[in-house]
Amino acid sequence: MVALSEGEKHFIRGGIEQDIRTDGRRRLQFRALSVETGVIPQANGSARVRLGGTEIITSVKAELGKPSILHPDQGKVSIFVDCSPTAEPMFEGRGSEELSAELSVALQRCLLGGKSGAGAAIDLSSLIVVEGKVCWDLYIDGLVISSDGNLLDALAAAIKVALSDTGIPKVNVSLSAASDEEPEVDVSDEEFLQFDTSSVPVIITLTKVGRHYIIDATSEEESQMSSAVSVSVNRHGQICGLTKRGGAGLDPSVIFDMISVAKHVSQQFMSLLDSEIAAAEAEAAE
Amino acid sequence: MKGLHLSLNQTQRVRLDTALQELQSLAPAAASAAAVTVADTIPVNQEDNILKGHGTVDQDGEVVATLCGVVERVNKLVYVRTLQARYKPEVGDIIVGRVIEIAPKRWRLEINFSQDAVLMLSSMNLPDGIQRRRTAVDELNMRGIFVENDVICAEVRGFQHDGSLHLQARSEKYGKLERGQLLTVPPYLVKRKKQHFHHLMQYNVDLILGCNGFIWVGEHVVVGEKTKTTGDQQKSSTEAENFTPLETRKHICRLANAVRVLSALGFTLTVELIIETAEASASSNVEINDMLGAEFYVQTAEREAKRRADLLRKKNGAR
Repeated sequence: MVALSEGEKHFIRGGIEQDIRTDGRRRLQFRALSVETGVIPQANGSARVRLGGTEIITSVKAELGKPSILHPDQGKVSIFVDCSPTAEPMFEGRGSEELSAELSVALQRCLLGGKSGAGAAIDLSSLIVVEGKVCWDLYIDGLVISSDGNLLDALAAAIKVALSDTGIPKVNVSLSAASDEEPEVDVSDEEFLQFDTSSVPVIITLTKVGRHYIIDATSEEESQMSSAVSVSVNRHGQICGLTKRGGAGLDPSVIFDMISVAKHVSQQFMSLLDSEIAAAEAEAAE
Repeated sequence: MKGLHLSLNQTQRVRLDTALQELQSLAPAAASAAAVTVADTIPVNQEDNILKGHGTVDQDGEVVATLCGVVERVNKLVYVRTLQARYKPEVGDIIVGRVIEIAPKRWRLEINFSQDAVLMLSSMNLPDGIQRRRTAVDELNMRGIFVENDVICAEVRGFQHDGSLHLQARSEKYGKLERGQLLTVPPYLVKRKKQHFHHLMQYNVDLILGCNGFIWVGEHVVVGEKTKTTGDQQKSSTEAENFTPLETRKHICRLANAVRVLSALGFTLTVELIIETAEASASSNVEINDMLGAEFYVQTAEREAKRRADLLRKKNGAR
């Protein structure tokens, strides 16, 4: 946990009040974003995202599996987040379990849609190989390398980048076998199918400090928050998920205000992320 | 350059590389020869039997470095001073630290040393400069002076027999720091100077360069009024909060970002260089936040390379 004296806390609160934060940012400004793709060669897709002092690595691993009986026409996606003790000493051992679970659940809500798979950011029916028999299981893992606030936004951005980097091997199914037998599949080493990541949302967290709210809070600023609302918005400006943290209550009108701000900010962030992804892919191709 | 992650475009990368190469070439030959990495051979004169110090090892008759850093020679002793290391205190250093614990008659401070520093209650003078009397009441009121997490500034008094580090704060200028921000940089970037407290009159800002790499940038406090402001604190928190004036805050943030940029580039932090960097950003209309962007890093590196080149030329011209 960050240690701050009364004087420093006062200074941070004053900065947010006066719309000039400790590093000179305005209330609705992000820190510097840097994106790298293909950092883990063994994974199908991976990314490293740095947002100021926060650093995240995500990997996407695809495995062939069996679809569930309830949804024979859909693949499966699971998201796990782990916080490395390098980020903070308190994450050592079981110390990070609570935070990791909280982040995982928030991301699952925002990206995986409902129980039936409807409204998911990733089109689950595109993961099917043979209906009822074979499908792709996607394992999305996030690792927090260093933590300086705003983990959820950074994780969501990193997952978006990793998914855009992901290539699923092309599968050839031999249809000779009888219908109740396991079909034989031949996984190609050369041909890969790219994902459609245009519907993957970004998450914008608005942290309320005093009377105002800020985006991309550092851990010092987060220690001063009364409540935080995370809004996940997709490319069309639609809200895909909403979570609130912190004990203090919020007036409904404030929440509506926050949502409209998040919507506005998300479109800027999305285009920034897109250009960073394009730059990172161009660099990886070199 | 550790921890410098910038998204540079092609031209910026070339410019930064040129600036850094120029800086490298400007460094005196002796300085670049003194820098070693692990497994580098340290040239020594084998005749005068030297003493191998910290970070060196004897390998087949050669002295080899086991750490990355700068080779230091003191008479016969040869050792490696690492750059990415904790602070090594010397008596009389002015440091900035954070209170982590209140123990009987003392505060424990985090100062980026290998152990916690100790500030005894008896090493604090009363506001009017009189020495404290050791009373139980005084001891019970220690939280009235500093509480946990307070940032304070003090002087290194010395080491005790058991190896613990003691501090003192016997003058008005030492004590609690409020209304500002604390930055941490690698300690080797702050050199010991005559002056570590800087009141930047033009900005109404206090800049304290702690020898331990803790740097305080805050609103100027008039010496002697410190005790009064702490008393006001309780009152003001309930009232409308009296924040730092906007103009002063802008200067604080600008100076703080200048420190961040310079330390990320690995330039020695002097008050002149910090002010110069902040001024340069202001005069070229760089927004305070944009100082942490790639372009300003490159500009700062180029400016420093030019400054050092000019300095060298002047020196050679004078000869």
